[in-house]
Amino acid sequence: MAHQKTPYQWSARGFIAPGVILVAVLLYLPLLWTVFLSFTRYNGLGSPKWIGLDNYVEMFTDADFAGSVLNTVLWVVGTLIVPVGIGLAIALLTWNLGGGIWLRLPFLIPYALSGIGVGVVWSFILSSGGALDQALAAFGITDPPRWLLDAPLNTVVMIIASSWQGVGVNALLFTIGLQAIPKEPLEAARIDGASGIRLFGSILWPMLRPLTAVVVGLSIVASLKTFDIVWGMTKGGPGTVSETLALTMYKETFVNSDYGLGSAIAVFLTVITLVASVLYLRQQLSPKNEM
Amino acid sequence: MISRRKIAAAMAGVVIGGLALAGCSGDSGSGSSGEVTGTLDFYTDKAAWKPDFESLNTASGDAVDITLKTTGYSDANQYDAFIKQSFRTAKSPGLFTWHTGDALTQLVEQGLVAETTDIWKKAIDEGWVSEDLAKSYTYDGKQYCVPMNIAYWIMFYNKQLFADNGIEVPTTWDELNDAATTLKAAGVTPYYQTSTLFTFQWFQHLVASTDPDLYAGLADGSVKYTDPKIVDIMNVWLDEQKKGWFSDPGSTTDPAVALKQGDFAMIDFGTFFAGNLDGAGMTPDDYGMFAIPAVNGDLDTTPVAVESGPICVAENSTQRDLGLAYSEWWMSADAQTAWNEAHGDVAFNPKATVSDPALAEIGTQISGEGYSLYDRFFEAMPTEIVTTAIEQFGAFNANPGDPLPFLEKIQATADKYWAEQK
Repeated sequence: MAHQKTPYQWSARGFIAPGVILVAVLLYLPLLWTVFLSFTRYNGLGSPKWIGLDNYVEMFTDADFAGSVLNTVLWVVGTLIVPVGIGLAIALLTWNLGGGIWLRLPFLIPYALSGIGVGVVWSFILSSGGALDQALAAFGITDPPRWLLDAPLNTVVMIIASSWQGVGVNALLFTIGLQAIPKEPLEAARIDGASGIRLFGSILWPMLRPLTAVVVGLSIVASLKTFDIVWGMTKGGPGTVSETLALTMYKETFVNSDYGLGSAIAVFLTVITLVASVLYLRQQLSPKNEM
Repeated sequence: MISRRKIAAAMAGVVIGGLALAGCSGDSGSGSSGEVTGTLDFYTDKAAWKPDFESLNTASGDAVDITLKTTGYSDANQYDAFIKQSFRTAKSPGLFTWHTGDALTQLVEQGLVAETTDIWKKAIDEGWVSEDLAKSYTYDGKQYCVPMNIAYWIMFYNKQLFADNGIEVPTTWDELNDAATTLKAAGVTPYYQTSTLFTFQWFQHLVASTDPDLYAGLADGSVKYTDPKIVDIMNVWLDEQKKGWFSDPGSTTDPAVALKQGDFAMIDFGTFFAGNLDGAGMTPDDYGMFAIPAVNGDLDTTPVAVESGPICVAENSTQRDLGLAYSEWWMSADAQTAWNEAHGDVAFNPKATVSDPALAEIGTQISGEGYSLYDRFFEAMPTEIVTTAIEQFGAFNANPGDPLPFLEKIQATADKYWAEQK
């Protein structure tokens, strides 16, 4: 009798069943299917053919894949430095100001755009003979850099374009974090004479740590799956010099109809994203790092 | 408590049932199997052409009592994936646009598209289509799908720039080179180029019009991209790059607008580009077109690249018969005259009336004596090789240099592809 389920437990299981089924059907099954496909040759028609580790061997021995990994690393580093850094700076400079929201608001507006939309706008600015080149010509610079044609410059300017979109939401998150800091330790620090960098380094930054961990964690995940802005601006080119892992995955799957190789890249990307997120968040949010 | 348990179980049942229904059910279209009149569900990746397709409903309604209900996709890759997935459901389309070459081969090999041999036989007997065109639609002696359109890849030019520099329409390779030299000396960039997507056409022309067999060898894998003859041809292209004959590959200006404003004088593109030029505000007084002279003047005929996009019917579609009935009408002269009036471009049906006089003239010229047709690079080569090739030609355009590293990358993809076919 001890192990017999009570009617309450049965009904509880019934109530969570829809959620469990939805998660299983919409998330776990596609994941398992993708893992399975990564061991097959499949063009989207007929039945997948089992080829073992061939897709993984091909992936890791392809020089272009190494280029995609390198570009993706650039995106991760660049996204941490530029939009997270500038977002924090904007939050710090405006959170105590009267009407600070009006200073932060313009940075948030681009967040409403899709990545493809941002790509189109920035292509217009950065393409050869585009708005930026014309502006530079007005200052007598007639031989500007080829923003989107030369690597790694094209990846760098695309990170800047992406930052234009992402900096506002980071500023907003950091502002929320700053506003959540209790007033007492801040006032105590100020009474003790702390201000400026000292106040930031000793009080604000440590107290922002949980939120910083979330912002940085989100940025890492978002930058690892960078796709739309690159697709919108360079399609990964010229050649493959600005491809990211997500773009290579898309190209192999939907342009070349090589679902097996595309799935292998998807699995690799998933593992990297999971490992990076778990390691980072575990390190940042572990109790020993709490104040 | 019993009633709560029942409620919970019922809820779970509803969700599971709903999921099952969502997965398995579907609107199977307005026509059931066997019907040959009614509303036909039509899918295309040419979303911009939807009004053109639907404007034919009056003509098709009167002639065969079939009207199209068109769903247009603007993203070709998304569209291809959708069509492939649809074959697994009850919603496989009664009519859909596709691609000839490797992509159609894949569908035929899986038995997914309906045979159209009888329709082709009738069309050829009626003189609606050439037997040559049937080759792109033939597998093991049977035809599948019908041509939606054809386009010849030719040279468009800015008439004003030609006139300003005293240039006549070139009829030989040397005359074309002289024209480019004259234009460049006058500060006008001769040719258009880009670094993404449409990067293949100059390579295609250089190879096919130097040696058509070499081009055919690339298509069937018997010739390598690293073949010394291909390297020599790439060096011709490189010389032209060094002379500054090509436009900035990083420009995103609409090529039709760029030709209009004189950013370059000539652009190698499909005949459908005439519609883009009209859209950019050019008239046939402003632009002209000519078949690109062959590099090798000793060839008996001038090779011209032809692109043909098919309209197909899914074999297991509930609208299979309706789709085939529409396909049969589509090939007729009446249908193609109506289509040409709506959409423009040259016509695959020689009995159709082409509304644009300039297109009609070049269509007649190329389908007559002195010209031979070969499949455009996109359809002639396997998809994976095309993807790598257009990337590498784009990289070559952006940074012209020793062609061998670009060709080696293309050949690496070709090696992998042909090895998988064995």
